[in-house]
Amino acid sequence: MEIRTIKSLLNFLCIFVLIVIFCILMPRDVYATQLHSSSEGIITHQIGHVFFLFSMVLLIFTITGKGLDRQKGWRLIQYSAFFFILWNIDAITAHFFDNQIYAVKIQDISLTRIRIITRNNSSILAWLYYFLKLDHLLCVPAMFLLYKGLSKLVDEQSQKISKKAD
Amino acid sequence: MIFSFIPILIVDIAGSIAMVVLAVLSLYKAKLLRDIDHDNAVFLYLLWISTGFTIFAVSRSFGHILKLFLIVTSNIDTWHAISPYSGSVNTVSFMLIGLITLFFNQNWSINEKISAGREKLENAHTELMNLNQTLEHKVIERTEMLTSSEHKCRRIFEQSLDTIIVTDNKFKIMEINPAGITLTGYTREEMLMEEMTAANFFAFPSEWERINKKIGSEEYILNEEAEFLRRDKELILVLITGSLDYGAFGCEPTYHFIIKNVNEKRQMERQIAQADKLAALGELSAGVAHEINNPLGIILGYTQILLKQKSDFHDDLKIIEKHVQNCKTVVSDLLSFSRKGSTKMTIIDINKVTESVVNFLSNHSDFRNIEMALNFHNANRINIVGNEQELAQVIINLIINACHAVDKKGKIDITTQKTENNKALIIVKDNGKGISKKNLSKIFDPFFTTKPVGQGTGLGLSVGYGIIKRHHGDIHVKTREGTGTIFTISLPAHKEFTYGMQSGDMTK
Repeated sequence: MEIRTIKSLLNFLCIFVLIVIFCILMPRDVYATQLHSSSEGIITHQIGHVFFLFSMVLLIFTITGKGLDRQKGWRLIQYSAFFFILWNIDAITAHFFDNQIYAVKIQDISLTRIRIITRNNSSILAWLYYFLKLDHLLCVPAMFLLYKGLSKLVDEQSQKISKKAD
Repeated sequence: MIFSFIPILIVDIAGSIAMVVLAVLSLYKAKLLRDIDHDNAVFLYLLWISTGFTIFAVSRSFGHILKLFLIVTSNIDTWHAISPYSGSVNTVSFMLIGLITLFFNQNWSINEKISAGREKLENAHTELMNLNQTLEHKVIERTEMLTSSEHKCRRIFEQSLDTIIVTDNKFKIMEINPAGITLTGYTREEMLMEEMTAANFFAFPSEWERINKKIGSEEYILNEEAEFLRRDKELILVLITGSLDYGAFGCEPTYHFIIKNVNEKRQMERQIAQADKLAALGELSAGVAHEINNPLGIILGYTQILLKQKSDFHDDLKIIEKHVQNCKTVVSDLLSFSRKGSTKMTIIDINKVTESVVNFLSNHSDFRNIEMALNFHNANRINIVGNEQELAQVIINLIINACHAVDKKGKIDITTQKTENNKALIIVKDNGKGISKKNLSKIFDPFFTTKPVGQGTGLGLSVGYGIIKRHHGDIHVKTREGTGTIFTISLPAHKEFTYGMQSGDMTK
């Protein structure tokens, strides 16, 4: 009965997401009561990042709270969540600089070189922004840890089954 | 500031590809987990979040690679047109992951409840299994005990030397053990097929009525004496103990009887009592005979002296002499009964003695209409140590009694036998009127007779008894009124050559 409830909740979530995707992919003029400026996009995106970050923090605490971190698989998933938090901070910061306060701008000089123009010509901000652009160094390990965590859980479950069978 | 674009480019492309690959692999692993346990809500969550990460990785990587491609190919305007959509999908994927994770907590609580419920269910199942197993073991154990108990009871029932009968509430035979079959002489099939009841075994209906009444009122009987009539019409004295068994709930009540054959025991008791009585009578007779014998001797002596002289009372003296002689004969018989006299003992052949007695009696007029059959033992001789005249006297007495029993018209069988335990038997059997139960215990008493006064002294059997006892033997009687009587004399057979002689005199 409870699994059915979860399934229906997830189905509802799925339908909701599909509606949102549909609305995004099929934009029409909506003569609503309020006009939306172009800056709403970045704000929404940033809220998305914050929401993602918040959910990862919640995941870490949930895993610890339920005592799941005693299992290696869940511990790896916890580490993965931590890396996703770092990645979200990285992305939020980068978006803040280039899309919100326009403190940083990139100029292509050639195929191999770029110029980072910062407000007040701050080299620290330029270097910071340069490293923030290397965000895959955070999200790839996060995804790898998630994969390892899931693999470990699969192994543990298989062992349990074979033990039961014995 | 000018920076190298190469690290960003490499990390971006390699990272995007790695993200997609790892996300797909994670989705695969989550799918495996879900396949292992379909009912596990946490695994369902992991599948959903992996799906979310895959959407996130694909959308993001697609955006990054496409952006780089369009920038490198100087199609920056196209990217500007696509980027809002790419960014939006990316945002939705964040939202999706966030939403799924937020659900996780709630999901986990539900899962915990489900797991706890399942665990309880499994424990209950295990307990039930154990209980079932214990129950099965107990059932097996009890069944074994029951079988063993049933086997024991069956063995007791089958091996018992006493008769055990189970009847229904109308006393119809339901079960009877082998001892019962031997006792009654009926087969089990006969009893069951002919629906025989316990009443059928009783020789006298009055005895059954008495027992039936008692068990009906008191629900049990204890050591009740009764006579059973066997199939071959032989009477057996039995002791009956029985009770009513109400059985298990819903079962018809049954009666259980244990029947003990006391025929031989009672017969032996009677014989012992008889022997004791006769021994006492013997002592008394010996005393009386001894006291009377001397005065009789004096009377006879003086009478004979007077008879030698001429006297007017010669005839009277003759009468006195005759009656004194008669008295002396009675006294002599009494002494014979009391076993006080001395007798000359020799080795004699009972076949020869019996034959001579039968030959002697067959010439008597009383035996003309009697069929006398003489059956000798296979052996030519059956020797005993005894007095031939005395033994002949006993046999004559028995045959004369048999003659009176058949009322001078019937059949008398005289048989000699030698048993395995070295006993010589002389059996006199008639098909006469038999001896009544009332008289049976008195037949060996001195002066007991059923004949009219003057026709018998009542000393025949008592003298015979005394003679046989003096020969270290026994005399038994078996009778049934209206059918006949069997007298059996049992004497110790002489072991020839044991004493180093073939014939000779032995005086006791």
